[in-house]
Amino acid sequence: MALHVLAIAGSPRRHGNSETLLDRVVASIQEEGVEVEKIALTDVTVNPCKGCNACEKLNKCVQRDDLDWLGQKLLDADCVILSSPIYCMGICAQAKALIDRAQVFRSRKYVLKLPVVPPERKGKRLGVFISTAGQKWDYVFDAAVPSVKCFYHVTEIRNADIAYLMVNGVDLAGEIEEHPTAGAEAFALGKDLVKKMRERFGDGH
Amino acid sequence: MDINALGISGSPHRHGNTETLLDAFLAGAKGAGADVEKVVLRDLHYSACRGCNACHKTGACIVKDDLAGLFEKILAADVIAVASPIYSMGITADLKGLIDRAQFLWARKFVLKNLYFSTDHIKRHKGVFISTAGQNWENVFDSAYPMVTAFFNGTGFEYYDNIIANNMDAYGGIRGHPTALAEAETKGKEVVLEVASLLSTGTSGRR
Repeated sequence: MALHVLAIAGSPRRHGNSETLLDRVVASIQEEGVEVEKIALTDVTVNPCKGCNACEKLNKCVQRDDLDWLGQKLLDADCVILSSPIYCMGICAQAKALIDRAQVFRSRKYVLKLPVVPPERKGKRLGVFISTAGQKWDYVFDAAVPSVKCFYHVTEIRNADIAYLMVNGVDLAGEIEEHPTAGAEAFALGKDLVKKMRERFGDGH
Repeated sequence: MDINALGISGSPHRHGNTETLLDAFLAGAKGAGADVEKVVLRDLHYSACRGCNACHKTGACIVKDDLAGLFEKILAADVIAVASPIYSMGITADLKGLIDRAQFLWARKFVLKNLYFSTDHIKRHKGVFISTAGQNWENVFDSAYPMVTAFFNGTGFEYYDNIIANNMDAYGGIRGHPTALAEAETKGKEVVLEVASLLSTGTSGRR
């Protein structure tokens, strides 16, 4: 299978600042001939976790929605990229719903002690968190990051393999386009991800 | 003087650790003479904020669902207790869904400038955050606080106190915790008496 990347735009607002930044990274990856599948969370249905803990026994979620197929894509990708704007000092509710639904993988890993990804791929996959915030505070992303780490840890992406591209002070629509460094950082991040994927997986797996 | 205490349960799991802790808080508030009500977010129909920013022009949300009535209750309450378990190091998506929908109040305060909570108003309106976590890490609640702070700021409540209990997995649930339920009940009583004191004499009995 050729190298492939799953890019998830978590914002309810299509083509806003966080998704635009995601698109920059995606374009940089695609330029290297690596396949990227992009999904906008607002176009699919991923309901919040019900906290029923059934996944601790069933090894699957009792809810039937788009996580049925999106969950498998999360595990199959060589690199997963999640983008979300900051709303009220945290990731948006839609992105938090996706992260909370990853509970099924946490149950698989820590409760049932079953493999989440094939052993040869464990600790090799890459994760990226892309975010934008209207506020200029340097701590505006602090409360978002721990939940993102949980999301990646339960899908067997190591802390050291999570990259962050977080840009504050972009409030108005399209403001990211005028940011002095974000575009170049997104481009460089895309190239770095491709380089790392090729080192780890060759031209595919 | 009637004091309204509103409890908002953000847990999808009915009558679990967090909701039980909220119930203890509300029992304490009721014991101090408050009118109490509990709203369970799981029972409401609402969608997350769409990020459309229409409220920046109108001051109202274009989404018409059960949250309109809940925001009326929030703004009419003297005390609110917002409860959520910790899922993936943060509040639940259910509670975050409510918090993000308060954007229309932010818009009224900072964009349209037709809503203002005076210092006196904020002092007389108390917000309490109630949470439980399975993990025993000391920092497990840290990411929840900024989002709850944003919510209390937006709705005109002073962030008065936290009632938190971690390590639920080891205690076998909130009922196995040595102090949390009693603490919640005491704090429910205290906050109502504090608001009553502020309303009647204008002075705080707390500090």
